[in-house]
Amino acid sequence: MNSAWLCLIAAGGASSLVLMSDPPRHSAASGPVAAASSGQSVSRVPGGVILVTGASPSASDSVTPVPEDARINGRVFDDPYFQMSFPLPEGWAEKYTSPPPSDSGRYVLAQIAAADSFSARSKGSLLITAQDIFFTSLPAMGARETIESAKNHLPEEYRVEPAPERVWLGDREFSTFAYESPQAQLHWRVLATEIRCHIVEFVVTGRDSGFIETAMRGLNKMKLPAEENPAAGPFPVCVKDFARGDNLLRRVDPVLTGHRFNPVPVRIIIDRKGAIRHIHFLSAFSDQARAISDALAQWRFKPYIADGQPVEVETGILFGPQR
Amino acid sequence: MEKSHFALLVACSAVFLLAATESTPVDPGVQTAQRGTGAALASVLANDNPGILSFFNDGQTRFQAVESVSGNAAGNNGLGPRFNSNSCSSCHAQPAPGGSGAAINPQAAFVSQGVAPDDATPSFITPTGPTREARFPFFLNSNGTANLNSPNGGVEDLFTVSGRSDAGSCKLSQPDFAEALAANDVIFRIPTPVFGAGLLENLDDSTLLNKQAANSDNDFGISGTFNRSGNDGTITRFGWKAQNKSLHMFAGEAYNVEMGVSNLLFPQDRPLPEEDQQGRGLPANCLNLSQGGYPEDTNNPSLSGPAILDDVSAFADFMRTLAPPPSGGVVLNGTAVSSTSIADGKSIFGAIGCATCHNETTGTTQPSSITGSLSKAAVHAYSDLEIHHMGTGLADNVSQGNAGGDQFRTAPLWGLGQRIFLLHDGRTTDLISAIQAHQSNGSEANAVIDNFDSLSNAQMQELLNFLRSL
Repeated sequence: MNSAWLCLIAAGGASSLVLMSDPPRHSAASGPVAAASSGQSVSRVPGGVILVTGASPSASDSVTPVPEDARINGRVFDDPYFQMSFPLPEGWAEKYTSPPPSDSGRYVLAQIAAADSFSARSKGSLLITAQDIFFTSLPAMGARETIESAKNHLPEEYRVEPAPERVWLGDREFSTFAYESPQAQLHWRVLATEIRCHIVEFVVTGRDSGFIETAMRGLNKMKLPAEENPAAGPFPVCVKDFARGDNLLRRVDPVLTGHRFNPVPVRIIIDRKGAIRHIHFLSAFSDQARAISDALAQWRFKPYIADGQPVEVETGILFGPQR
Repeated sequence: MEKSHFALLVACSAVFLLAATESTPVDPGVQTAQRGTGAALASVLANDNPGILSFFNDGQTRFQAVESVSGNAAGNNGLGPRFNSNSCSSCHAQPAPGGSGAAINPQAAFVSQGVAPDDATPSFITPTGPTREARFPFFLNSNGTANLNSPNGGVEDLFTVSGRSDAGSCKLSQPDFAEALAANDVIFRIPTPVFGAGLLENLDDSTLLNKQAANSDNDFGISGTFNRSGNDGTITRFGWKAQNKSLHMFAGEAYNVEMGVSNLLFPQDRPLPEEDQQGRGLPANCLNLSQGGYPEDTNNPSLSGPAILDDVSAFADFMRTLAPPPSGGVVLNGTAVSSTSIADGKSIFGAIGCATCHNETTGTTQPSSITGSLSKAAVHAYSDLEIHHMGTGLADNVSQGNAGGDQFRTAPLWGLGQRIFLLHDGRTTDLISAIQAHQSNGSEANAVIDNFDSLSNAQMQELLNFLRSL
């Protein structure tokens, strides 16, 4: 994310046209790739780019990582927000970039596919997603409960396959389950863990269990952050619904004069003194982002204390229609 | 038969069967057998509520009426001054009034037939191509360049009434489509079919929201949202981007934008977006061409029965009481496909994730005051009515309501078996191409298409067979 992008976030008008010279990773769906310069008259509208966006992600600064910063550098998947990385197995590649975050707090961090060199047909794929615990429309659950729920609500066209309930990848424990579709002859292995206010899921899909096992071995090279410690980090403390009640010392409501009826999920980081130091709009029109940013700059919180020390807090606020 | 010969025959048969099942999958194509598409809802045919059948029939007649600019004794005046067609059913034609575009595009003959005698047929309108409307995503500068700082997105009507004997002295120029094409600044839309539309209209927001929550727990990375009315914030659901709230709104806007007929919902004649932007509007000699005042379509207080209604209400009543398109058998290369193949295809459709958006059951309708068939009915539209990011491959850079340039409503798939042109712009008639177009940078469907690509040829064929059964 560069300065041109930030300027437009700060100054963004009501128009849904967003112009960026170096858009964030999700520009494919949330912003244009076309060059931004004064004038903006072109002899041909560039094809294959999204120049007119709806509600889109944006952030108050370019230094603090956001979940959708995930990218594949060389042959390494890396997401600085989650401090998560792993080298892609041989033959795997990202064919297409991911859609922007949803207004229910879901991210597609990467979609990686393995092609069959003999048939040019897909052998299988790996989908990496994250679900924000602040905005989920599902009942609030951890990784284990998420997997249990998925297993218990498996649609009838699938059949649960035997698999361990927990595995270790990197230094993290993952809850897992496996299922198959007899009709489609596809197999799925789902792995979930909790990292920094999110349920992070890896979904491996393939035509045979051998492929799944190969993929699992590749995932075992993953580097993940150490388990969180409220006082020692590495992340701010996640507190759902922190921005309410006695925690909130000063609140100024945004005045939304343009778009009003879409959910606007906002993830914030509150510093040790109780001021907001980072704002991340998962999905907002530019007029909404501007009005909400102006309001949030005036909010003050009671510092959060862990182990006797004030610590940074990460939480979410949903503006617009409440679910 | 000798044993050795028998063994050889079995072996050959096995090879043949293997080859047959592994042959390249093909779209079975448009299914031509009569399925009864275009009929009224069962309760309407039974005249529940009393008199409603006459409203359906009246609406159906008006839906097929050809509009004139002025002087039509039947009262169908008000066409233009700009328009895309002169009858609802000329666009909503296939396989019956209320459907999508037909095999023969009537727009291609408008110039030669005197519907738009002074116009030139745009290059993208062809006799056997899709029936279309055109939009310019961005306003064009006077030098023909596209101004990316100035999004447009409005409909650029293809034709004018210039030169018609019933249009007086009105002379208008068509939009400069050649210039817009040169600037790569044109996108297209084809008609959305409206069979079963009354059922979609009668789904309560809570039903759709509950379904959305249930669908969110999927392993395909799919998370849609709803387009919403800027007036009251409720879910809108008609049109390619789910931009219209109701069938009345859908009909009123189409009557005004596509046919140029002002009405109770859209009471003025509509200029082109650039005519409005430049503060010109329509010239005075192109206004009130029907000579009956505005709106050109209004109710008829001197009449009785369904005739008392304005056209827009009659159109809406017709669409609202059209039955959903029936499913049916599928013929592939002249041979009937087995019901087992279709059932297996349906199962695969669900398993690989298509049904995450294309939900078979959109929901159950709320009680209806209109007719029994609309009341507490399961709606098998194969859509969640949400808008989803469809990526750079399908993006049209047109924003409507909350939908951005790459967001589209999950197209209801009921009736797909008899559709000719596919996707929002009718770019293909081939199901496989339409499926593959779901995958591109930024699309929510990418993981699903990866799964599709993992299927065997035989499985793909079953999936295609199922789709053409709808």
